[in-house]
This record gives sequence, structure tokens and C-alpha cells, in this order.
Amino acid sequence: MAEPEMTVAALLREKEELLLRLQEAEDLISAVRTGAVDALAIQGADGPRIFTLEGADQGYRTLIEQMNEGAMLLSQEGMILYGNAALAELLQQGLEDIIGTNFAAFVPADFQPSWQAIWAKGWSIGKSKGELPLRTLAGQLLPLSLSANVLQFNGGLVLACILTDLSAHHEIKAIRALVAEQNIEISRQQQALKIQEAAQQRVEQAAAEVSRLLEGIPQIAWTANSEGVSTYFNRRWFDYTGRTADQLEQAWWRDYQHPADRDAAAARWQQSLETGHVFEAEFRLLDHTGTYRWMLNRALPSYNERGELMQWIGTCTDIHEQKMTQVRIDQAQKQLQENNAQLQRANIDLDNFIYTASHDLKAPISNIEGLLHALLEELPSADDSSPSAQPVAALLTMMQDSVDRFKRTLDHLTEVTKLQKEYAAPTAWLPLSATIQDVCLDLAPLIQELGVQLEVEITDCPAVLFSEKNLRSVVYNLLSNALKYRAPDRVPHVRIWCQTTDDFLILSVQDNGLGLNLATHQHKLFAMFERFHTHVEGSGIGLYMVKKIMENAGGRIEVQSEVGVGSLFSAYFRRQYI
Amino acid sequence: MEKLTCALLVDDDQTNNYLNKLLLSRLQVTDKLLVALNGQEALALVEEHCRDASPSCPALILLDVKMPVMNGFEFLEAYAQLTLPRKHAIIIVMLTTSLHPQDMERVQKLQVDGFLSKPLTKEKVEGILETYFNRHL
Repeated sequence: MAEPEMTVAALLREKEELLLRLQEAEDLISAVRTGAVDALAIQGADGPRIFTLEGADQGYRTLIEQMNEGAMLLSQEGMILYGNAALAELLQQGLEDIIGTNFAAFVPADFQPSWQAIWAKGWSIGKSKGELPLRTLAGQLLPLSLSANVLQFNGGLVLACILTDLSAHHEIKAIRALVAEQNIEISRQQQALKIQEAAQQRVEQAAAEVSRLLEGIPQIAWTANSEGVSTYFNRRWFDYTGRTADQLEQAWWRDYQHPADRDAAAARWQQSLETGHVFEAEFRLLDHTGTYRWMLNRALPSYNERGELMQWIGTCTDIHEQKMTQVRIDQAQKQLQENNAQLQRANIDLDNFIYTASHDLKAPISNIEGLLHALLEELPSADDSSPSAQPVAALLTMMQDSVDRFKRTLDHLTEVTKLQKEYAAPTAWLPLSATIQDVCLDLAPLIQELGVQLEVEITDCPAVLFSEKNLRSVVYNLLSNALKYRAPDRVPHVRIWCQTTDDFLILSVQDNGLGLNLATHQHKLFAMFERFHTHVEGSGIGLYMVKKIMENAGGRIEVQSEVGVGSLFSAYFRRQYI
Repeated sequence: MEKLTCALLVDDDQTNNYLNKLLLSRLQVTDKLLVALNGQEALALVEEHCRDASPSCPALILLDVKMPVMNGFEFLEAYAQLTLPRKHAIIIVMLTTSLHPQDMERVQKLQVDGFLSKPLTKEKVEGILETYFNRHL
């Protein structure tokens, strides 16, 4: 054969021919791809096979070339007969390396069954769909959605596949989700902005309303924010201080407050800011004439519907006149207290004086009495009836009487000082009726002797909180006086009864005795050592004691009297409730 | 009755001293009667006569309260500081008019044997003799 004799020339010729065929093939592919040819004849084992793009014009092919999805035609053997530019891009290889290869080579081993399923289904029912990754040249896995349709191609059947890059799809989905999320956020923010705007509007409206109201009130009015910074003053403030509205400065309080008051006021303000409690302070505030006037500054916190402190609304009220009056009252009260203390001292001094006087007078009077007795011893005996002895004895008797009266007076004085000391005598709840009965019993002989008509209506006299000794003294004095100062021409009639008011228990003792002219005697009636009748025994101390006792216990004594008709004494015991 | 050896009257009131002297001498109570016009004088007399248990040391002291220079209380305070041989035998009786409650408290704190209100009478003297000396007039 010619083979062994194959020459270099023959080999060169064969190479030339192969190069030519390769050139033809490349040209053909290019022509098919660009649509320059409609049909293609491929030399097969059993003669040339003609491939044409049935019904496809150049426009469609351009469209397919331009689209983003990968497109390919697979032969029944699975060989890629055609692929577009997007397919080459997806697989990251030149089309020349793709066309003519088996598509299954790009499917990773794990996904071969999936591919087989799509492949089998496509061929059996004419179309199928599925997702699977392909392996690129660099080895990356590319998720794809693949849809396959069986097409009539040049008398034979091919599987036309569209490959969609799912990674892009995923990305878009992610972006869409992000966009959606951002949209939600944006609309939320817009909503919040709207709410804020509305709230702001409401706040401004409220503030405007507050200002409008505050302008109308007669006091100085102001507002401050939650930090305590002044935000508004009404007209009154500027009228008062003489400032103009554009001179509003922050240090306003301190500038107008009296130096002696400002620190205390500032401390209170600070405290209110911290606690949210009502602010209240009194201080002197400088007016435009340079005069300090007392002000009462009060402020209340104002809250919004969420309970947040929005502002402080305050008023400054002129309390200068009240304050001055108060100062005068305080001074008067202080003066009164001083006077009272002075009076008390004077009272104590007086008590001490009475005590000392009675004490100091006792010694000389008992000396006089002693000397008198000594003199009696020296004189001839008392039964000496000589004419010269008679007047001497009478004189000595009179001297003794005087001494006795002097001593009695001293005893009464001592009684009075004791009474003063018993100011805080122990008290007890005493039934008045029992005391009255006791006193009546004591005076029974006299009552019987005089044939007194005694009317005692005391069954409903309540108990009084009183010193037992003093109560007895009061009742005794009133009753014995009623008997003592009886009218000689009438049968003595004495009536005793009780009355009660909210504040007092009133014990009344009425007689039909001599009576007194109160017009001339009232002021002396209860004074010490005053006596209006000389025909009966009396020290002039009884009513003084009664008055003292009643007044010391918060009560009083009253009298009604008519000369020749009788007297009515009423003792007012202050009622105390347990 | 056996008389006391000596008695001491302490009072600034000369008239009262005169009357008490008169009463005591009439009742023949004591052999010797000393008179002091205030506490200080009395203290000097006691120191002088009682240093060595002489008969001129007063067995009875009648003491007034209110006196110039040294009053009865001050005398008692000073007397309490003295150390005398037969001090327990000396009887001190206070004589006074009415006592201020404050003074009453003070008296109770001081060592005094008896307490009598003025004026001194025969009955009171009898009482003293019976109570402190077991003697009868």
C-alpha cells in the first residue's frame, strides 16, 4: 500500500487539508452563531447531516445571543449542539470548549441523578424543569434553574434548555428583602416623625394656650423647662422689674432677689427640680423703683400624657402687705409675750413679797404680844378693881384685840400665798353634788338656827375636774356668804342649782339677802380685804379667793345683785372632756 | 427639876431674846444663858465653850433662821464641820415663824434635833425638856 511509502510531502498535504477543515469548521460555527448561515451540514459517518435553525431568523438568534439566561441545544446523546454567549459566561469557558462536549460533564457527581431525572423526563414528556448546580472551570458551583423542551430540529429531536442563574436570583431576592425591610423602616420612621410633629404641635399649642392664660392673670407668671431654665414671663414681670422683653437673661432670679433670701429660694428650686414636687418659696424681689417687696413664688410641674415633666408653670404673688402685717403681729405677739413674762415675774415677786411681808411682820407682832403678856405679869393682878387699874386693863384688852386682828390678817395673807402656790394643785373628777352636800352639812347648825329655806337642785350636776380643797372652798364661801349677808327682816331663802353649756358648768347660789350696789362696788367686790358690811365677821378674803381659784382653773365668777332684794353668784367651771 | 448647865439663844431680834430670856429664867430652865445675835457669834461661842466639855458648853441651842451675817442654815452647815468632844449631847432646836417650802426642804437635809414655830411659850419649853432631856418642870 501507499501507507508505508507515505512521504513528508504527503504528510504536509494532510496537515494542510486538516487545517483547512478546521478553518472551515470555525467559520461555520461563527456563521451559525451570528446567523450568517441558516443551515449547517456536518459530515457524519453515514454522510453529511444538515442542521438548520428552523423558522429562526437572524433577529431571534440575536435575541438569544443577547439574553442573560444561558441557552443550549442538546443532542439525544447529550452533546451540546449549540450554546449562547450567556452559557459560556455562566460556565466561564469559551463556547468552542463547550459546544460538542457532553453537558453531563458539567454536572457535579452528587447531582447526576437530578440531571438524569430532568433529562429523562424531558425526553419522555417533552418538557421538564429542575434546579441543579453546574461546575465551572474554576470549580465553583453555580446554582441554576434549568427548563428543557424537546424541539424538532432539522428533522431530528433536540432538547432545548434555558439556564437561569439562581445566584443572581438569590441576590435579587436578598436585595428585595433588604429593600422591603428598609421600606418598612422608612415608613416606620415617617410614622414616628408624623407623631412627633403632631406632639410638637400639641406642645406648642399647649404652650401658646398657657402663655395666653398667663398673660391674663394679675400676678407675675412664668414658665421654665424641665431643666429649670426660664422659658417665659408674662407682662407683669416686665412691668414689675422694669426690664424689657428682649433683656430676658437666665440669671434672673438671683439678680432681683434680696441677698438674704436668694440662697434659700435657689435651694428650694433645685429641690423641686430634682423631686418634681411643688415649688414654693417666699423672698423679697426688687421692683423697678429699687424697692424690695415680699413675694410668694409657687410653681407646679406640668406633665404630658406619657407622664413626662414638660415644664414648670409658676406665679409670683405680691404678699408684701400680708407679710408686713404678719411682722407687726409677730412683733405685737412678742411684745405681748414679754409683757406676759413680765407680769408673771411681777406676780411671783408679789407672791414673794406677800410671803416675806407676812413672815417678817409675824416676828414683831409676836414680840408685841409677848411684851404685852410680860407687861400683864408686871401689872397688879387682873381682879384688882382699883379705879386706876380699870382703864389699864381695858387698854391692854384693846391692844390684845389689835394684835389678834393683825395676826388674823397675816394668816389670811399666808392663805392667799398658799393659794397661789397651789396653782398646779392635783385635780380629780369630783361630783359637785357631793361637795355641796358636805358643805350644807357643815353649815347645818347655822342653817337650822336661822331657819333658812334651802333649795338644793343638784341631782344633774356633772362632775368637774378640780382640786378638791379648792372646790370646797368655792362652795363654802358662796354658801356661807349667802347666809352671812342675809336681810334681818326676811326669812333667808337660798337656792343652789347647776346649769351646763358646752364650755361651762355653772354653779349658781341665789339669796334674798342684803344685796349690793354693783354700780359702785363691782370692781371692789372680788378685791382683797374689801368688805361692804361691818355688822358681821368677815376677813374680806373669801370672794378674792373664790375669784382666784376660779380664774386659775380657767373659769370665772359672776354676780348679779340688787340692794334689798338679794344676790346671785355664779361660778363658771370650765368643762373638760375625757 | 435639875437645871440645864447652859443654853444658847441665837437670834438677831433683841426683843425676842429679851422675852425668851424672861421666859427661861422664870421657868428656871438653865444655870447659864448665852446669847448670840447671829450664826457667826454663836459659832464663836460654841467653839470657845465646848472645846473641852466645860459646864459652860450649851446643852441646848435655840436657833433662829433669818439673821444677818450668818443665818441659821449657814450656822448649821458650819456647825456640822466642827469636831467637838461631846457634840452629840448638844441639842439644836430651830425657832422660826412660817417656813417657805424651799426652806423646809433645806431644814430636812441639815442635822437639827427639833423644829418649833415662834413665839416660844411655856408649853414649847416643857416639850423640849421632856423630849430631849427627860426632865419635867
